[in-house]
Amino acid sequence: MGANTVEIINEISEKLQKGKAKEVTALVAEALEKGVSPESILNEGLISGMNIIGEKFKRNEAFVPEVLIAARAMNEGLKVLRPALAGAGVKPLGKAVICTVKGDMHDIGKNLVKMMIEGQGIECIDLGVDVAPERVVEAVKESGAKIVCLSALLSTTMMGQKDVIDALKAAGIRDQVKVMVGGAPVTQQFADEIGADCYTLDAASAAQAARAFFEE
Amino acid sequence: MTNRERALNILHYKPVDRLPAVHFGYWPELLSQWAEEGKIPSHIPEQWYDGGPADRELDNLIGWDFNWYHTVSPNNGLFPAFESRVLEVFADGTRRVMNGDGLIERVKPGVTSIPSEDGYTLRDRESFETLYRGKMQYSPERVDAAFFSAFNDTREKDVPIGLHLGSILGNIRNITSVVGMSYLMYDEDESLFADIVDTYAEMQYRCAEEVLKTGASFDFAHYWEDICFNNGPLIDPEKFEDLCAKHYRKRNELCRRYGIDIISLDCDGVTEKLLPVWFENGVNTMFPIEVGTWGDQFEPARKRFGRGMLGVGGMDKTAFRKDRAAVDREIDKMKRLSAMGGFIPCPDHRLMPGTKFELVQYYAEEIKKITP
Repeated sequence: MGANTVEIINEISEKLQKGKAKEVTALVAEALEKGVSPESILNEGLISGMNIIGEKFKRNEAFVPEVLIAARAMNEGLKVLRPALAGAGVKPLGKAVICTVKGDMHDIGKNLVKMMIEGQGIECIDLGVDVAPERVVEAVKESGAKIVCLSALLSTTMMGQKDVIDALKAAGIRDQVKVMVGGAPVTQQFADEIGADCYTLDAASAAQAARAFFEE
Repeated sequence: MTNRERALNILHYKPVDRLPAVHFGYWPELLSQWAEEGKIPSHIPEQWYDGGPADRELDNLIGWDFNWYHTVSPNNGLFPAFESRVLEVFADGTRRVMNGDGLIERVKPGVTSIPSEDGYTLRDRESFETLYRGKMQYSPERVDAAFFSAFNDTREKDVPIGLHLGSILGNIRNITSVVGMSYLMYDEDESLFADIVDTYAEMQYRCAEEVLKTGASFDFAHYWEDICFNNGPLIDPEKFEDLCAKHYRKRNELCRRYGIDIISLDCDGVTEKLLPVWFENGVNTMFPIEVGTWGDQFEPARKRFGRGMLGVGGMDKTAFRKDRAAVDREIDKMKRLSAMGGFIPCPDHRLMPGTKFELVQYYAEEIKKITP
């Protein structure tokens, strides 16, 4: 990469970390005009910026508002970049199905994880809130997703995560997906008890774990 | 000793004959479960509220001394509130509604989970000025003087009663949603969010002041915030301090002028990063401590802030879903924490579905045998 390319990609990353959506959008457009490859803009600009904010979030150096505005900037930048990515044949790293389980309407945690996972270049199929196990099975079959992310806020709804795992088993597709669980009452011990593949404490760690699954 | 004397003595490091057996209420689903199991009368699930007659009836059945969360509050929310209305109904029964705070939520009949936030009305300076500022002003209708004056020194004092002080940031988070609060802090000029916090906080201060002027006397004062989650605060602690510290200080100084020296705060999540802001500005009691749900602990806070930091909570309620051995481990922990002084054991937050009635009875009975 030339000096100018490095400079504009670094600027995209820095503006994204500060949540400057309009500036990120303009910089992505400018970089494309200057002939910077869409893949470099995505990986070294947008994803790199989200990784930095994610690490800060894990260390309690950045907080939910900073993650939200950075993710918003990433999404705005992606809107400009997506046609160029498609034109260059760049595909998402993979697909993940995400939802809050049956009986649980609260989705802030789920949305944070979704934003961070998308920030890793993974396509998220968001089924929303209060989702029945059968709907998750259906979505996995339709999309070919390799990851299922299940969120539960309450101790009254966390067993819904096990219900989804049971439904995946019953449908004969449990081995085709990695199941990630999270939410306030969920612990590693609980994840082990219900047979989930992964539990993480925070959204940034979830995104890294998801990426690692695709890179295995 | 009365239960009130026991509680206040403990929180002032004075001797008591025994610990009081206190609790913080129940999830509605648990009361229904217990009624279906024939453990409690069928009218209790419908009639129960904190400190009410059904709550006292249940206290007697279980063996509790009292519900700690017995507070009274002026109307310190938006006034008048927005008119709640259904905006859309979906095929599965989910409704998109605007609530009294102007927040748009998705709710589903039969699902008691916290609703999904779907939009908000307080978006910018214009919406604040035209729709919200007027609803955040003090007016005499907010404080029912006749109601509060009954809480004077002549009232029956068998259990501690608290004055609810509202919140500094939690109510605003309720109005804007987490997402909206985040965008407001960063998208608009910096003065807007501070202006919202100051306007709301000044009104709540005035409400508390007018309540106390009626001659009402309280054993403690209490805030609700819910501004943390399982990875820490929902806001940068430095920003939180800039925005909120002065308001806590002012409201807490008011309480102390009226003889209230126990000031508690309820905040979900891991609160460690915000504790200094609260403690240094006059909040001195962690209630609840959220051991079971959030993994929070009282001992580190006591070590960090010393004997000035008091606690009500600390019992992992999930033990009630297990067995007597699990409850015994919690009782042993409560003995250890109570021996430090300034600490009253209480199951952390609402008892949840799956809780075994007999284990709760056992716990209440055993706690009353402990002299700290």
